[in-house]
Amino acid sequence: MSPAGSRSIEETADAPGEGRLATFLREKWDLVALGVLALAPLCLPALGGALGGQVTTLFIYCILALGLNVMVGYTGLVHLGIAAFFGIGAYLMAILTVPMYPFQIGWLPAAIVSVLLTAGVGLALGAPTLRLRGDYLAIVTLGFGEVVKVTLRNLEQITGGMKGLNPVPPPGAGVKLWGVDLGLAFAIDPRWFYYLSLLALTGVVIAMRRLEHSRLGRAWVAVREDELAASSMGISATRVKLSAFAMSSAVAGLAGCLYAASLSTTADPNAYDFNRSIMVLCAVILGGLGSIPGTLLGVAILVGFDTVLAPWADSWIQQMDINPTGSSLLSFSGWRLAIFGLALVLVMRFRPEGLVPSRRMAAELHEAHP
Amino acid sequence: MKRAPIQPVGASPLLDVDRLTVRFGGLVAVADLDLDVAEGSIVSLIGPNGAGKTTAFNTISGIYQPTSGTVRLRGRRLERSFTAGTFWAAMLVGLFTGLLFAAAAVDIDRLWLAVVKRGMITGEPFTLAGAAERLRGYFRAELALDQMAGKWRVVSADGSEVLAIRRDLGEARALRNSLQAAVTARRTGPGTVPDTTDLAGGVEAHSDSLKLPPIKEEVYDRLAAGKRRIRVRGWTGLFAGWLLGTAGAIAVWQRGRRSPHVVAQAGIARTFQNIRLFANMTVLENVLVGLDRTIPGGLPSMLFRTAANRRAEADARRRARESLEFVGLSGEANRIAGQLPYGDQRRLEIARALATGSRLLLLDEPAAGMNPTETEELARLVERIRGRGVTVLLIEHHMNVVMRISDRVAVLDHGVKIAEGTPAEVKRDERVIAAYLGDEG
Repeated sequence: MSPAGSRSIEETADAPGEGRLATFLREKWDLVALGVLALAPLCLPALGGALGGQVTTLFIYCILALGLNVMVGYTGLVHLGIAAFFGIGAYLMAILTVPMYPFQIGWLPAAIVSVLLTAGVGLALGAPTLRLRGDYLAIVTLGFGEVVKVTLRNLEQITGGMKGLNPVPPPGAGVKLWGVDLGLAFAIDPRWFYYLSLLALTGVVIAMRRLEHSRLGRAWVAVREDELAASSMGISATRVKLSAFAMSSAVAGLAGCLYAASLSTTADPNAYDFNRSIMVLCAVILGGLGSIPGTLLGVAILVGFDTVLAPWADSWIQQMDINPTGSSLLSFSGWRLAIFGLALVLVMRFRPEGLVPSRRMAAELHEAHP
Repeated sequence: MKRAPIQPVGASPLLDVDRLTVRFGGLVAVADLDLDVAEGSIVSLIGPNGAGKTTAFNTISGIYQPTSGTVRLRGRRLERSFTAGTFWAAMLVGLFTGLLFAAAAVDIDRLWLAVVKRGMITGEPFTLAGAAERLRGYFRAELALDQMAGKWRVVSADGSEVLAIRRDLGEARALRNSLQAAVTARRTGPGTVPDTTDLAGGVEAHSDSLKLPPIKEEVYDRLAAGKRRIRVRGWTGLFAGWLLGTAGAIAVWQRGRRSPHVVAQAGIARTFQNIRLFANMTVLENVLVGLDRTIPGGLPSMLFRTAANRRAEADARRRARESLEFVGLSGEANRIAGQLPYGDQRRLEIARALATGSRLLLLDEPAAGMNPTETEELARLVERIRGRGVTVLLIEHHMNVVMRISDRVAVLDHGVKIAEGTPAEVKRDERVIAAYLGDEG
């Protein structure tokens, strides 16, 4: 997965005394993780049930966070409204596929159209806010997120208001492959969505790595580091920032497309509110700004905690009959946010650069590479 | 070391600064500066602190906008001109904003209801022609058929008024046509004020086949006025949005027409007095940023790592290493730039500027904070840069360096050029001596 050009930079010198396995894991973590995740559904029957759906959601959030990482991590533009683009992607997907509207163009064409349109919306937000940085841009994106949420709620004829749009047909509905109705397969077995999301996530990771080590990725980081110096090198900061807006929105839109299809509904607009933006932003910061493995780990911890661990712990407490009166003080979910907050505080106190800081962010990397 | 030939007097200079004035509020930082830099020469700009040297640099490189005067590179102004492309881009942005505003003004939600949703209720296949018909109907504020709870309703275009409810689709359709005729008659009747007799005639003409439900006069008035209202709203929205979008696009263009990247792309690179590297990127990446404009191909070529893209990237890396070798940093390629020693950071900044392939290099106090050995090395580096055919405009306080390597020296004091000439001439100039040592008279 790692392009040849980037390897020489990403490799770090072998620490003395480190086992070969550890070295292998550190250099090829991506392939190992992909292999494990690809084989997991075949070995773990639980992934065919509710857990499969939860892990799929995790993958979708990973994609969303990688999208946000383009703006916050690489380009250094604070974005508090990524959920809005997530929502726009989901709603566009729904509008283009639900049976109540005449389009019904199928998942893949709808995904392509929605991703492009979401990128367009990102450009439309980016163009008038180009000169804003830091706090001011944060406020604009925050406001945009709220505006989108309220607009989605109020355009009742188009978006179904609080009911949302449903049913969003599964990908491949009506397509027969070797005698299997793909749509039916997607609807019955969550492992289909698991693999689709994993495929999309892999694609996004590869794309991000390539961009990181290409002209555009360098320009993003250069603008983050010093906008004036970058433009004195002939880089148009305007274009670079707009491209970051567009790329970020497009990837978030893709996540939205997967989300709507996997839930078979857009859910109500409140699913795309500020909390979700902050959650994803926290995941990116926790993992390490501008770092792909960091972002993935951050999402795995934060969202995994929320969507996988918390429900599991709740049901365990119920099974053990620890909490017969149903007191919220004794349920795990009651303490969820407290634990979440405490963990964030601790990480930011002891490892402010994130769990897996990017090479560019990690100032402690001293070794010169051949 | 090979010296590039200095152009003969009379040939057009590489850089031509003409009556450049920069004013910050009441303060005149640079006043009527004339400066010619001949191709292949080293020209120094000296003067006491606060003389306006860096301001002049920043204005030449597009960071500040001149109050008056021009800067030309090879006779061309360093400004983006208003091209047909700019015009059409502004128009496109205007059209987009206009459509957005119009959509809000005509209530996109009800438009959607009218055009898309009502196309799905009759059970007939959804056709584009039907959608276009309903779209036209919406902007003429025509009555439409809607369905609710299994019954057919005759409604106004935006769905806000329900005129009649029927069980049978055919009956509802006929009723809708009759009612529409009544509304049209009210709208097109003689005189601007709708007349009741006019309405009566219209209704009678259609009521022999069908009995119209009792509908208040004011409802007819409202429906008749609907067409005008929706059109006014639509056009107003379109125009306001177009105006805003076009003006915004032109404002953005105007702001960026002389921005640093335009100047850099024209062929002037620079370094900064207070080093401005990309501190968290590697040394090699810093130089690569300077080279990035030479890598062709758009987003797809980067995403799919096309052969052309890989070749261009490899080529850029090779040239970046060459550039590092030239300034003597080839061993540091993979270090983080911010961790280099001070002198190396200065040289890296020069390597990055050289990598852009510019013909003119502006060096702002490159030897500041350096010890005599480093200063000496730097002086040689500047001469080698000129040996590559790159013209150098230099701000420097180390007089021995300036006097030795410069072909010409210009002296600024309080924003005014007080002397210009060869180093020997400038050294003898009394005004220069006065400016540096203080006026005794």
